[in-house]
Amino acid sequence: MKLSKTLLSSSEFIVFLGLLAIGAFFAFMSPVFMTKFNLLNILLQSSIQGIIAIGMTFVILTAGIDLSVGSVVALSGVLMALMLHGGVPVWLVILINLVFGVAVGLFHGFSITKIGMAPFIVTLATMAMARGLTMVFSDGKTIFDFPPAFEFFGSGNIGPISVAIIIFLLYAFVAEMLLRSTVLGRNIYAVGSNIKAAALSGIRTRWVLYFVYVVSGISCAIAGLVLTGRLGAAMPTAATGYELDAIAAVIIGGASLMGGKGTIIGTIIGVLLIGVINNGMNLLNVPPFWQSFLKGAVIFLAVMIDSLKNKQSEV
Amino acid sequence: METMNPKAILETRNLTKVFPGVIALDDVSLSLNAGEVLGLVGENGAGKSTLMKLLSGVYAPTRGEIYFSGRKAQFRNPKDALDAGISIVYQELNLIPHLSVAENVFINRLPRRGAFVDWAKLYRDTRSILSDSGMDGIDPKAIVADLPIGVKQSVEIAKALSYKAKVLLLDEPTSSLTGPEIENLFSVIRRLREMGIGIIYVSHHLDEIFQVTQRVHVLRDGKTVVVVPTVEADEEFLVSKMVGRDIKNIYYKGQHTPQEVVLQAEGLSDNLLKNVSFKLRKSEVVGVYGLLGSGRTELLKAMVGARPLKKGTVKVRGKVAKLRHPLDAIKTGIVYSSEDRKGENLFFGNPIWKNITYLAIQVGRFTKNGFTLPRQERRAAADFAAKLNVKAPSIDVDVYNLSGGNQQKVCLAKALIEDPEIVLLDEPTRGIDVGAKLEIYRLIADLAAEGRAVVFVSSELPEVIGCADRVYTMSEGRITAELTGDEITEENVLKYCLQVDAAGEATT
Repeated sequence: MKLSKTLLSSSEFIVFLGLLAIGAFFAFMSPVFMTKFNLLNILLQSSIQGIIAIGMTFVILTAGIDLSVGSVVALSGVLMALMLHGGVPVWLVILINLVFGVAVGLFHGFSITKIGMAPFIVTLATMAMARGLTMVFSDGKTIFDFPPAFEFFGSGNIGPISVAIIIFLLYAFVAEMLLRSTVLGRNIYAVGSNIKAAALSGIRTRWVLYFVYVVSGISCAIAGLVLTGRLGAAMPTAATGYELDAIAAVIIGGASLMGGKGTIIGTIIGVLLIGVINNGMNLLNVPPFWQSFLKGAVIFLAVMIDSLKNKQSEV
Repeated sequence: METMNPKAILETRNLTKVFPGVIALDDVSLSLNAGEVLGLVGENGAGKSTLMKLLSGVYAPTRGEIYFSGRKAQFRNPKDALDAGISIVYQELNLIPHLSVAENVFINRLPRRGAFVDWAKLYRDTRSILSDSGMDGIDPKAIVADLPIGVKQSVEIAKALSYKAKVLLLDEPTSSLTGPEIENLFSVIRRLREMGIGIIYVSHHLDEIFQVTQRVHVLRDGKTVVVVPTVEADEEFLVSKMVGRDIKNIYYKGQHTPQEVVLQAEGLSDNLLKNVSFKLRKSEVVGVYGLLGSGRTELLKAMVGARPLKKGTVKVRGKVAKLRHPLDAIKTGIVYSSEDRKGENLFFGNPIWKNITYLAIQVGRFTKNGFTLPRQERRAAADFAAKLNVKAPSIDVDVYNLSGGNQQKVCLAKALIEDPEIVLLDEPTRGIDVGAKLEIYRLIADLAAEGRAVVFVSSELPEVIGCADRVYTMSEGRITAELTGDEITEENVLKYCLQVDAAGEATT
C-alpha cells in the first residue's frame, strides 16, 4: 500500500499518465498510430535519443550538464566511417569508438574536477570542437558504404525486434540497476544532493564526477554506432540539437537540474513522450514549424506540472 | 493579567493561533515595556515563532488581541505592523548583497529628487540612524557583501529602526555571530533601550538571556509557563520550565576514565592552522573552544583528510596515518560530523534511512559486491534512529522536514553507525532546542563510557566546561592552552581563546 502511494505521487507516474493520454489522443486521431509497426517504429526512433538521454541522466543527477552529446555522436560516426574505409576490422572500430567515448568523458571530468571549470562551459566548448572536428575529418561530406556487420547494430533485427531497440533496452536496464542498487549509484545521487556532505561521508566525489561524464561519453559512442548503422551513412550534421532533446527528456522524466533527483525509468518515459509527439504529429501531417512549437509547449507543460507539484509539497 | 499595564508599549491578551490540527499558540498574554528587553524562550515548537509572526502581522490571531501603545491593533499584513512601529529582524538576514548599506536600509523607500534618487539625503539619513543607535563605525556607502556577518546584522537592525520602530523583535540574532560581534550587538541593544525602544529577544542561548534581558517569558507547547524577572531566574530553573521537568544536571560528565592515547596530531599546519599539536585518549571527551575563525573546524577537517595539510602528522594508535580523504579516516576509525547540517552534513531530498547509512556503505557495510542491501540498511537505520530518539513518523521521511534537533540526531547516527573509535563532533548542539541538547550531552558521555575518544567543538562555553574532561582553546589557528580538571573554568577558557598564546607568537 505504501508502495502504491509513493508510486502514484512520483513524477515518473504523472509523466507516464501524460504519455498514455497523448498516446490515446493520437490513437483516436489516427488509425495508423496503434499498429504494431508504428509502435515499434516509435521505439526505434526513440532508441538513439534514449541511449544519449541515459548518459545525460547520470550527468544531470550530479547537477551537471553535457551539451556536447550531439556533436560527439556525430564525431563518433565520422571517426568510425573513416576507420572502416581505412580497412580497420569492425570489432576494432567499435572498440576504438568506445575508447573515444571514454576519452571524451575523461576530458570533461578532468576539466571539471581538476581545473574547476563549470560543466556548462566545458561541454559547450567540446560541443563546438567536436562538431568542428567532424567537419574537418569528413570534409563536410556524408560518408557511405559500410560492411553489413557494422550496419547490423543500427539496422539489423533479432527476430522481429530491431537490434537498436535491444541495445537501448539493455543499456537502460543496466543503467537503472546501477543507479538503483549499487553503492556507486547511491553515491551519484549523494554528490548531486550535497557534494560537500558526500565528500565528508567518505565518497570520492571526483571519481563520481569522472564516472558520470565517462558514462555520457560512452552513451554518445554507442548512439553514434547505432545511428550510423541505421542511416548507413556518417553525416557531419548528424545528431544536431540532440543535446536539447536529451536534456528535455531527462527533465520531463522528473529529474532536477539541481541534481540528486531523477531515474532512468523517468528518462525513458520522457524520451518516449517526445518520440510519441514527433511520430503523432507526423501522422497527423502537422506542418514542421508547428511541430517544433508544439513539442516545446509539451515540454513546458510537463515541467510546469512537476514544478507546481514540488512547490505544493514544500510549503 | 486582565488589567492593562500602564507602562506597556506592547501587550497581548489571550492571544491564540490555531492551525489545522494544532494549537500553535494558546491563550498567551504578554507585555513589553518601553525601554525593556524581554527574553522569549522555549523549545522548538513552543510557539515562539508563531508569537513573533502574530506580533509582526504575518499571521492574524485566531482569538485574542494585541494592544500597541495602549490602543487595540489589528495588523492585516507585515506592512501594517511596520507602519505602526513594530519591526522584526529574522534569524536569516534579508539583505541584498550587491547594494550599499544605505540602499539596504531604505530599500523600497529611497528618497527621491524628481525621478532620481537623492543620494545625499539617503546617506545622511542612514548615517543619522546608524549613529543614533551606536553603530557609527558603519559606512553607509559600504557594499553589504563585503561586510562581516556581525555588521550585516547591525545593518538589518538599522533597517528595522528606519521605520521609526518603537518595538523591535529579534529572532535568534546571535546564531551566526562571533563573541566580539555578540558584545557589539549587546551594546547596540543597550543603546536602543535608552532610546525607549522595547525589544523582544528570542534565543536558545540562555547565557545571552541572562546578559541582556530584564524579564523572561517562557513558553511551552504554545502556553505561557512563567514570566519572571531575569535576576530571579537561573539556568536550571529556565531549562526545567522549558522542558517541563526538573533538570538537576544539565551537563553530564558520566562515568569514564581517560585511558591510553589513541590519536596524536603533531605540528599540523596549513594556510590557517599554525603548528597545532594535540592528543586524544580512549574514553575521553575533549572540548575544543574557540571563536568562529579560530581554526577549530579547519583542525577537525584537516584531521580527517578533508583539508590538505602543508605539514604535520597524525598518528593513530601510535602509527602514522596517511589521511588524504575522509574515506581514509573512516577506514581508520575516525569520523567527523560537520557543524553545517544543511550545507555539509545532510542530504536533503533523501529519506532518514539513506542519510544514516551513506557513510557506512562507503566502507562496505550493508553491501555485497558493490550492491546495496536496502533491507539491512533500513533495519539498521531504524534501530539507530530509535536509539538516538529521532522523532519522525517513519524512516522514509525526507530529512528536510525534520526539526533541527532531529536533523542533528540523524547526522550523529550517520557518523556513529560504523562504530568509530574516534568521533569528532563540530558544534553538534548548534541551533537545536534544549531537550535535544540534553540528549546529545548524554550521548557524548555514553560514547566516552563505551571507550571512544570524543572531540566536542562548541561555541557555547558552559557546554564545553560541563561536558569535557580536557579543553583545548584555539585562537587564530593555534592551540593557545590545554586545560584539565580544575583549570577548566569560564575565566580561563575565555582568557586563552581571546588572546594569541604569547609563546606561539614569539616563535614565529
